[in-house]
Amino acid sequence: MRGLALPRSPKVILGLGILGFFIVMTVIGPWLAPYDPSSTAFPALLTPSSHHLLGTTSLGQDIFSQLLVGARATMVVALVAGLVATVLSMVVGVTAGYLGGVSDDGLTLLSNVFLAIPGVPLLIVIDSYLPVNSRSNEFVIGLIISLTGWAWGARVLRAQTLSLRNRDFVEAARIIGESRRRIMFSEIAPNLLPVLASSLLFTVLYSIGAYVTLAYIGLTSTATWNWGTMLYWAQANNAPLSNEWYWFIPPGICIALVGTGLALVNFGIDEFINPRLRAAGLTARQRRQLHLPRRARLGLTPVVSLAPAPNRRSTHAVVK
Amino acid sequence: MSETRVERDVVQLSAKHLSRDFTSRVPGRFVSARQVTHAVDDVSLDLVAGRVVAVVGESGSGKSVLARMLARIVRPTSGALALRGTPIPARAKRDLAYASMVQLVLQDPFASVNPVHRIRHSLERPLLIHGAERTQVGELASAVLKRVSLDSSDRFLDRYPHELSGGQLQRVSIARALCVKPKVLLADEPISMLDVSVRLGILNLLKGLCDDENLAVLYITHDIASARYLADETIVMYAGQVVEQSHGTALVDAPTHPYTQLLIASVPDPSDPTAVSARDASLRIPASASAGCRFAPRCPDAMARCASESPPAFEVRPGHFSRCWLNENDRVATLVAPLTRRKGEPTTT
Amino acid sequence: MSATIPREVQSTAAEGGRASTGPVRDGAIRESVLEINHFSVDYGAGENMVRAVSDVTLRLERSRVLGIAGESGSGKSTLVYAMTRLLRSPGLISGGEVILHVTDEGGAVTPVNLVTATESELRRVRWSHVSIVLQSALSALNPVLRIGREFDEVLKTHRPNLTKAQRRARAEELLRMVGLSGDRLERFPHELSGGQRQRVMIAVALALDPELVVMDEPTTALDVVTQREIIGELSTLRAQFGFAMIFITHDLSLLVELADEIAVMYAGSIVERAGARELYESPRHPYTLGLLNSFPPLHGERRELTGIPGTPPDLADPPTGCSFAPRCAFAMERCVLEKPTLVEVDDTGRSVACWLFDDASGSRVPVELSRVAPRAEAPKGGS
Repeated sequence: MRGLALPRSPKVILGLGILGFFIVMTVIGPWLAPYDPSSTAFPALLTPSSHHLLGTTSLGQDIFSQLLVGARATMVVALVAGLVATVLSMVVGVTAGYLGGVSDDGLTLLSNVFLAIPGVPLLIVIDSYLPVNSRSNEFVIGLIISLTGWAWGARVLRAQTLSLRNRDFVEAARIIGESRRRIMFSEIAPNLLPVLASSLLFTVLYSIGAYVTLAYIGLTSTATWNWGTMLYWAQANNAPLSNEWYWFIPPGICIALVGTGLALVNFGIDEFINPRLRAAGLTARQRRQLHLPRRARLGLTPVVSLAPAPNRRSTHAVVK
Repeated sequence: MSETRVERDVVQLSAKHLSRDFTSRVPGRFVSARQVTHAVDDVSLDLVAGRVVAVVGESGSGKSVLARMLARIVRPTSGALALRGTPIPARAKRDLAYASMVQLVLQDPFASVNPVHRIRHSLERPLLIHGAERTQVGELASAVLKRVSLDSSDRFLDRYPHELSGGQLQRVSIARALCVKPKVLLADEPISMLDVSVRLGILNLLKGLCDDENLAVLYITHDIASARYLADETIVMYAGQVVEQSHGTALVDAPTHPYTQLLIASVPDPSDPTAVSARDASLRIPASASAGCRFAPRCPDAMARCASESPPAFEVRPGHFSRCWLNENDRVATLVAPLTRRKGEPTTT
Repeated sequence: MSATIPREVQSTAAEGGRASTGPVRDGAIRESVLEINHFSVDYGAGENMVRAVSDVTLRLERSRVLGIAGESGSGKSTLVYAMTRLLRSPGLISGGEVILHVTDEGGAVTPVNLVTATESELRRVRWSHVSIVLQSALSALNPVLRIGREFDEVLKTHRPNLTKAQRRARAEELLRMVGLSGDRLERFPHELSGGQRQRVMIAVALALDPELVVMDEPTTALDVVTQREIIGELSTLRAQFGFAMIFITHDLSLLVELADEIAVMYAGSIVERAGARELYESPRHPYTLGLLNSFPPLHGERRELTGIPGTPPDLADPPTGCSFAPRCAFAMERCVLEKPTLVEVDDTGRSVACWLFDDASGSRVPVELSRVAPRAEAPKGGS
């Protein structure tokens, strides 16, 4: 918000790189896929080769094409679920925290109920009531997953709002006659941006896990391809036992990589959004140049001499 | 302009017997007891167009709660407000008409402007809420900044709060209040968080708004010297009560209440080099509130009566009130030697 | 107070030198307890570097009070934190030395340069010889520990031969010294008032009888009546123990009452250094004059005061010449081009960093800045 700048931390750059790669894969994956992932035109159980980079399934489908095509459904569900859950958690959390009283009690109770219910079993129950054609719709599945994923974020945001609601700028907005809705979503919510971004990353991560789990146990339509259905078919055909690693390892690695990317980006969120944090502090490079210890120590302000001083004693760092 | 001239000396906002209690739970051994604190106790005041009323008190004296009741963001436990003679209902959710008449400037300029929005947002919102045309708000916002002496050439509107100094932010805060064209400006310790060198600038700005634009100003402070500098009327609060009240500089020049005297004696005053040794601020630890005078536990002049009976406000001179038993029939003595009476000296009652 | 703290002004001619003794006054030699020479502190490095303290030279004699006055961002707090090496990252000391003259139990005095001191040397010196009282006692005291534990920790670390009972007795004695009863040791910080907490901090700082106590705005968060009480107690304690004190505040009028000597800081540099009464009665630097005129008086006619126009400079982008020039009523062409250095301007040991007092400037010193006699408009008393 306050001027985004390029992040410096290698962790964040790596994380953004990984996520960028998978987002590109989501967009163009289906076009890149060499074959129709459902086509059974090939010999079964081929090992990886130049024709079939990741071999074929026991039905003779190209696994590489399944991986590329499956990325879209997986990522779309995760993003839809993550966004919807974050918006839900913001509305519930900020409203509960700002309004207080009965509204707070009610909304807090609601989020506690959703926190207490185990997510995946609830998903299974809801999912089994869905008409079959909805099960292949990524948006419907995403919405369902978001229902189980918003409560934790709502609690965190409520706590943050409680600490903001008595800040002077909120009081100042009340004094000029600002409406409650605008105070909540135009004055308070932008201050919660780091928390919201962090919450978004974690709900996306959660949604991938939930979607893959649903697909793996066969509750989504097996006709659409995603990384979970790949695992489902691999499992159903005893791929792990018959050493057909190229069937189940690649989707597993993709899921793990997306998770890693999200976690790495989260490291940089504070630095990325808050310009004050960025300005303060010395970079690792500056520390090396000044012969300073890598980590700042409390109670021992380092001493440097930046300009070539006439005094020999102080020309080099005298830090112990 | 001719309209505002007529408005001088009009009572814009009047508060009658305002009180606010806070209940807190005191944990006991078995059950927690409820303890009621009288944050503000029966305070009445009139804010008059073109005049500055100062409220002086320590932290915890209730002065900020008083300001928030006048701004109607804290609801009084009892008492009534009247805006230009019209009684204001006790409970209204969001009263734009009231907000357009009475504005409050908060103490901490760094906290009272939203850090994520540009200054433009902070000034255009009040304009839009109070009916300005969207096409004109930019111009109006610049004009308001000019009134608080922030030059438009510095592009303040497009800057973020963390790029401004404390003094500039406090001017922005005042500008935000002025956006709604209020008749009453309440300022809650507007200079206490600011650097010494920019404080006078803010005080002079308030004085100017009062003199030139006929605003009724309530200036809340813990610094009695700044109250003397600015105010037409000064009120000293202690533990929620008005203990002394007077016009002009009379309150500081001839204080009659022991608390006011102590307050004045405590202010560092380099013009009087012998002051430090002469002032013995040997105070007893304040005890819990009793039936008597609230200041009695700390009062160097306390008498037996002070612990049991709460004093009413005595008029020691026309327009000069003091809530102290010493002033019951001791007016002459008090007037002659207000600062000389010390603990241990006999009091003439 | 007047009996214990001589008010006369000391010459600080030892500037830059290594002399540990000051000039002879009253037939006695005053020893230095602290000498700061050409001390500079930066925040960060490279292009984002901000010089918060630049080339500060100060000397403090035993048992005396040095007041440092300045506004936020003037570097006054940075100076004392860096001096004791307590300044946090990204603060860096970028030059100069800080010599603390440490008196050990046998009475021998050894100079310790805090800038080059090792961690173990610092640990030995801190608290035993120099201690700090911070502005916010609430954040300095651990909220989950009883007050007694604060004393216990300090005494256990630095006086390991004391028994538990002796530590307890010492803690009660210290609390009594600052006007609190011994039963406060059982309390938690939140059960005490702001003034009581600050008294506890002062007592903890005095626990090991240091030669130097640094007070960083200890009374700013308190109301005036409590401030007056604590200032009174500090005078009594100084009379009793004879520690030297550095007192930092933005309230120049408080310093005039409290300090023997005052250094006024602006934008990281000392702009004027003088005896307290001299500084008050005849300020030489335009900024000092402006500060003194920024406090509305308690007596006399009400008249309009102007304060100082403008705002303090941005340290990340300081003006090229004198950093006060943009706000100064007496600024000349030279002020914008060259930065003045702190030089002595008269025989009372007063130093000023202002071109008005440099003969080469060819300027006349304005009448406001050349007062010698006590100010005419300083009437006594309120009645």
